[in-house]
Amino acid sequence: MKGKTKKTLLLLSMVLPGALWFFLLRYIPMAGIVLAFKEYKVYIKNPGFWNNLIHSKWVGLKNFQFIFATKDSWVYVRNTLLYNIFWIVLGLVLAVTLAIILSEITQKRVAKVYQTFMFFPYFLSWVVASYFVLAFLDPTRGLLTHWQAAGGGEVINWYHEPKYWPVILTICNIWKTTGYSCVLYLAAITGIDGTQYEAAAIDGASKWQQIRYVTLPHLRTMIAILFIMNVGNIVKADFGLFYSVPMNSGSLFSTTGVIDTYVYRTMTATNNIGMSTAAGLLQQLVGFVCIMAANKIVTKIDEDSALF
Amino acid sequence: MKKKVLSGILVSAMILSLAACGSEPAGGGTSGTAGGGSTAADSGGTSGAAGGGSTAGGSGGASDGAGDSGSASGLEPVTLTMYFGGCDSVTDDTQAMEAVNAYLQEKINVTLEPIWGSWSDLDQNISLSLQGGDNVDIYFTCAWSSNEYNKFARDGYWVRLDNEGNNLIEKYASDLWSTLPEVLRQGAAIEGADGYGVYAVPGYKDIATQNCWDINVPLLEKYGYTVEDIKNTDYYGFGEILETVKKGEGGDFYPLLVEGAVLERMVTNSIIVTGDSGTGNFMSYYLDPEDVSRPGSLGVKLVNKFSTDEFMRFAEQTREYFNAGYIDPACANTEQANDIRTQKQLSGQYLIGTQSYSLGYELVASDERKFEVAMVPCTDAYVDTTSSQGAMMAISTVSKNPERAMMFLNLLNTDPKLMTMLNYGVEGVHYNLKDGLVEFTEERAQYQPWTNGMGNVTILPPTVAQGADFWDGFKAYYGQAKEIPLLGYSYNSENMQTQMGTVANVVAEYLLPLCTGAVEPADKLPEFLDKLEQAGINEVLSDANAQLEAFMQAKGE
Amino acid sequence: MKNQKRPVNAVSRPAEALMHLILALFCFACILPFVFVVIISFSSQESIRELGFSFVPKSWGLDAYNYVAKLGQQLWVSYFNSFFITIVGTLCTLLVTGLYSYALYRKDFKYRRFFTFFCFFTMIFGGGLAPTYVICKQFLGLSDSYAAVIVPMLLNPFNIIVMRTFFQSSIPGDLIDAAAIDGSGEYHTLFRIVVPIAKPGIATVGLLSALAYWNEWFIPMLYIRDARYIPLQYLLQEMQSKVDFLAKNSSVLGAEAAAVRANLPSDTLRMALVVLIVIPIAFAYPFFQRYIISGLTIGSVKG
Repeated sequence: MKGKTKKTLLLLSMVLPGALWFFLLRYIPMAGIVLAFKEYKVYIKNPGFWNNLIHSKWVGLKNFQFIFATKDSWVYVRNTLLYNIFWIVLGLVLAVTLAIILSEITQKRVAKVYQTFMFFPYFLSWVVASYFVLAFLDPTRGLLTHWQAAGGGEVINWYHEPKYWPVILTICNIWKTTGYSCVLYLAAITGIDGTQYEAAAIDGASKWQQIRYVTLPHLRTMIAILFIMNVGNIVKADFGLFYSVPMNSGSLFSTTGVIDTYVYRTMTATNNIGMSTAAGLLQQLVGFVCIMAANKIVTKIDEDSALF
Repeated sequence: MKKKVLSGILVSAMILSLAACGSEPAGGGTSGTAGGGSTAADSGGTSGAAGGGSTAGGSGGASDGAGDSGSASGLEPVTLTMYFGGCDSVTDDTQAMEAVNAYLQEKINVTLEPIWGSWSDLDQNISLSLQGGDNVDIYFTCAWSSNEYNKFARDGYWVRLDNEGNNLIEKYASDLWSTLPEVLRQGAAIEGADGYGVYAVPGYKDIATQNCWDINVPLLEKYGYTVEDIKNTDYYGFGEILETVKKGEGGDFYPLLVEGAVLERMVTNSIIVTGDSGTGNFMSYYLDPEDVSRPGSLGVKLVNKFSTDEFMRFAEQTREYFNAGYIDPACANTEQANDIRTQKQLSGQYLIGTQSYSLGYELVASDERKFEVAMVPCTDAYVDTTSSQGAMMAISTVSKNPERAMMFLNLLNTDPKLMTMLNYGVEGVHYNLKDGLVEFTEERAQYQPWTNGMGNVTILPPTVAQGADFWDGFKAYYGQAKEIPLLGYSYNSENMQTQMGTVANVVAEYLLPLCTGAVEPADKLPEFLDKLEQAGINEVLSDANAQLEAFMQAKGE
Repeated sequence: MKNQKRPVNAVSRPAEALMHLILALFCFACILPFVFVVIISFSSQESIRELGFSFVPKSWGLDAYNYVAKLGQQLWVSYFNSFFITIVGTLCTLLVTGLYSYALYRKDFKYRRFFTFFCFFTMIFGGGLAPTYVICKQFLGLSDSYAAVIVPMLLNPFNIIVMRTFFQSSIPGDLIDAAAIDGSGEYHTLFRIVVPIAKPGIATVGLLSALAYWNEWFIPMLYIRDARYIPLQYLLQEMQSKVDFLAKNSSVLGAEAAAVRANLPSDTLRMALVVLIVIPIAFAYPFFQRYIISGLTIGSVKG
């Protein structure tokens, strides 16, 4: 019995620094969530953030109104959801496939080079990437524009034709995120005990069977966890991708507009901290519900892979 | 046994390292304030709220605001923190601040601790510093970035300077107030948390707005035209000149280099209404182009700028120019437009451009672009609320020493010696005087605050580049600038926050493509107007017009 | 060493050739934009003004690098700061993350569910920028020190959960039980048994957090004013945001801003800054990779 208490204490001592950090830097600031229901003003008698927060007027759900105020805002919600759902699935398949391929390469040195290269997009901000896209799509000087003109075809003014952008954005997203998530899966594969493959090979298992019965089951937990965490971000969009890459061109909003760019533009107009908090809170609540649901589903399938 | 010892050592090592990690903030913080000279010590711990041992300068020391104004000897020592904007180019302020503080201590017993905010701070950090209640006494503020004078005044961030019970301006800054032009004093008076009054000291800088056609003179003359030809026509009459030049220069040349929103204002004579700048200025007041000080062409009234005949005519003409290949399609892509404009200006790949003018800009531009640039104005220079609130200094309600802050601002705006020291540095180090003109040394590169963000620039000695009579010309040009009837009005969108947000999104979708001709107005304009209505633009406009009526009435009295 | 023998359990040669093709294509797509960035950064500003962003500039130039070089001493100070913050920060992150994750990994930890949720909850919910800023700056006194950058970034719930997952998928529970029976204490088990096995996972989390520290400019922007502590990414970002701000407000700021802006090699500068940031971290990359790829045991017979 004493051993057990000691073990619990030891484990508690391990969580302590982290828990303290979470408490100070994450939980205390959560008090700021009430801003979503308030009109933040200075408490003149004794100004200071917490005093202002406490004494500001309650305004109910007023700060939330703008999120669903127009038809367009529903389009932005739809765009956000569709892009995210599609990309979660596509990203997962591609990253796992690449990780497996990479792990099967016999020349480890070449594999290292591949892997280094795959990480480069991570370093380029969306602003920088947007200039690369521009080099192809510029309405007068872009490479594609030149080819179209040289081929005698009709020159497309890319930044004013919304229909092409779902494809362009998808390519950009894959380019940017695949290398990053690939490394997580690769590390998980690396953790697999090599003797398992040998045993399988000796039993006469083909490469496909080895992947099917050794690699994938081992990746199961990682896949499940990353999936759950991605689902939590289903109503959040990568701001830079949707803002910088299309050059914030108004004509494209029907396919490039998402919740985050909508909120951003609202903020430049109002600079209202209550409204941005409200939008954030709503995204968090939806994310939370989705994560709980996803976790529940995963628990049903495989309890060990669940988040908690 | 061995294992036990080992794990024991590990545990203690871990605890030690954690303790080291944990103590770092406090230790770091203290060393920052102690050894940091003048740059380090910004708002360490407001009101000493358990802030890791930081003593936070002397700001806590003299909390019982010094009494009446008097000689420095009678005043308690006080440290004032001031947040400047646009001062990216200050990398070493040691010598300048030594001189400034020696002088300040002698005069009003104040030590100035500047925070050299960058350009981007105006949008991001200053808002955060205010919302978070950082311990800063004076802030730079204005009406054109997110660092919004009017909104912050309404939200209670600024001390009212002319409060009847405690009129700081009268008590400590009457000199300052009497040197300011009337238009600035008028523009600074607004409706704030503490009633209608002045919430910041306006800086005397380029205070007027004038939009001009920016002409590439050599290219124009190459085709047998002169600047007079531009002056004698208007936007709707540019067609022939543009066609000739486009033909001559070839398909890749786009003669009309526009900044969409500015072009629209220039052609239709509409202005920026303070209070809706973040939304792309959908509200408009139309100037009388003959005399800007008279009531506008549609009366003293705010209208939906996109529903007017003026806009329709403008959009159609622009579309025609776009289709004829006079406007670069890149001008229609929001994030690309500015880059492309700078590039083409500098390489001279344009014939007619748009420019918001300030005195002497044609010389600066000609010098930069290495060819002669002429500026052809569309209207007379005028003063509106936005330009009169272009650079201001406000005292934060967090400040423990508003009186002293006011004394400091008074001195800064009226004492040429202090103003010069803070702006240009130390004579003999950062600059030399040659016949009364300032000639900068190499040291100046280390200390280059944003002059226009500093208050009354007209008390500075002119620089060699400006020439001896620069300020006379400056005062003459800006002195004759007429105030428009709306001067002082700024829209308070407090009750229309949702609508402001939704309208802003709709405007962002259509404004630039329409104003650069990238889309067909016949298709898009009705769609645009329809969406604006759904977004609630009419509610905003009636709210704004009600406020305007009340304002005009109060102003008339 | 040459003419290395193919491992017994390798994929067939044609299949491997195909795999190489796929990877090579993907990697080409990944590296091409960076090559583009390097080219632009060495283009002359005149070339950009005339041709726009192009793979083949009309003329070359060092305008951007000369502009950055004007920073002089500060550039090296910032390089040092970035390295220091990245190394110390990553070590602290790994330690705290490792401890926390290990406890979460232990199925028999009494408060496991609670602390998992405690950590996970912060991944979803946050109070926003202003309150966090107030806590860090006013309550914890984080400003103008290395800690002001490291502490706010110390933990990331994502990393904790990923590391716990690595533990789960690579360390069999029996091993821990066996160690416990041998009388191994928790700290001993973690550092002597778990860490060596989970190296690839730890290296991955280390890599991710090192990249995060290296790339961070927002937090230094909030808490650092003293030039002595400014890290590289923030220094460079600051130059960039200056250019952007001036461009955005050009119609209001008028002549003065235009004058400042015209003297900045804005387009090439943006690219040169990327090159300066990426090169050092690209060299640090193989260090982590040693643990991630070399640990790959598939297809090779363990010797």
